[in-house]
Amino acid sequence: MSAQAAVAPVTLRRALAAEEAARADFYALLARLLNGPPDAPLLADLAAAGPIEGDPALARAWQELVHASAAMDADAAAEEYETLFVGMGKSQVSIYAGFYSGAPSIDPPRIRIQAALAALGLARNERVTEPEDHFAGLFEVMRVLVAGGAGRRAAALADQKRFFEGHVKPGAALFFEAIGRGRDSNYYRHVAAVGAAFVCLESESFLLD
Amino acid sequence: MKTMKPTNRRNFLLAAGLGGAGVAAAVVAKGRKPEAKAGAKLSSQPSGYHASEHILKYYKTTEV
Repeated sequence: MSAQAAVAPVTLRRALAAEEAARADFYALLARLLNGPPDAPLLADLAAAGPIEGDPALARAWQELVHASAAMDADAAAEEYETLFVGMGKSQVSIYAGFYSGAPSIDPPRIRIQAALAALGLARNERVTEPEDHFAGLFEVMRVLVAGGAGRRAAALADQKRFFEGHVKPGAALFFEAIGRGRDSNYYRHVAAVGAAFVCLESESFLLD
Repeated sequence: MKTMKPTNRRNFLLAAGLGGAGVAAAVVAKGRKPEAKAGAKLSSQPSGYHASEHILKYYKTTEV
């Protein structure tokens, strides 16, 4: 063995605990489904997913999403996504957290999110045109905080909690309710039910040690 | 008999069904390669779920 090899740095990464990996996966899935409609492979994967055993609300919502995914096709999902979320003033449901938290003219949610991201060492890429309070972006931030990524480790639970309670929780329940009430909400009603149940569990879990 | 709710965060999450069988992972980690456009940069994070253009955009959103 050469001397160089003997001193070569070894980087060890601790695997995420199962429940933390599951949290990251849920955030990833919600971010993906809110960032754009599911394509055919994702619908097929969701349709083939197994059940959740545990929290009754999450288990039921998940099973209904699985069934809905089996019945949905990508074109219909794309049309529904467009109708529900796309177009300022014409979308049925606002996909921006600021809409649900009052968006005061002083200290608006976007500015607060920008400051929180900066404190965490994160920032929106300049090429991205969507504002920081897009729910897909907020869930993606949570995924990175939970699982790490983009060259960083998972954030401390206190940091996860602070971002969740400051920027996700205040508008998430109202957002998912709005999707459920959307006139043309069909597939996304089930996505919203899973999101609502998951966010509820997250809220409760952050109260525990 | 009354069922006690877990008071420990990890037990609470596990009891809720997070972590048991890897719920979302069952959906997203089936070894399917993401369908990214040629030249698109993928995150080094092994997410497993379908990396559409949309999600690639959000990976970029969270780049440090």
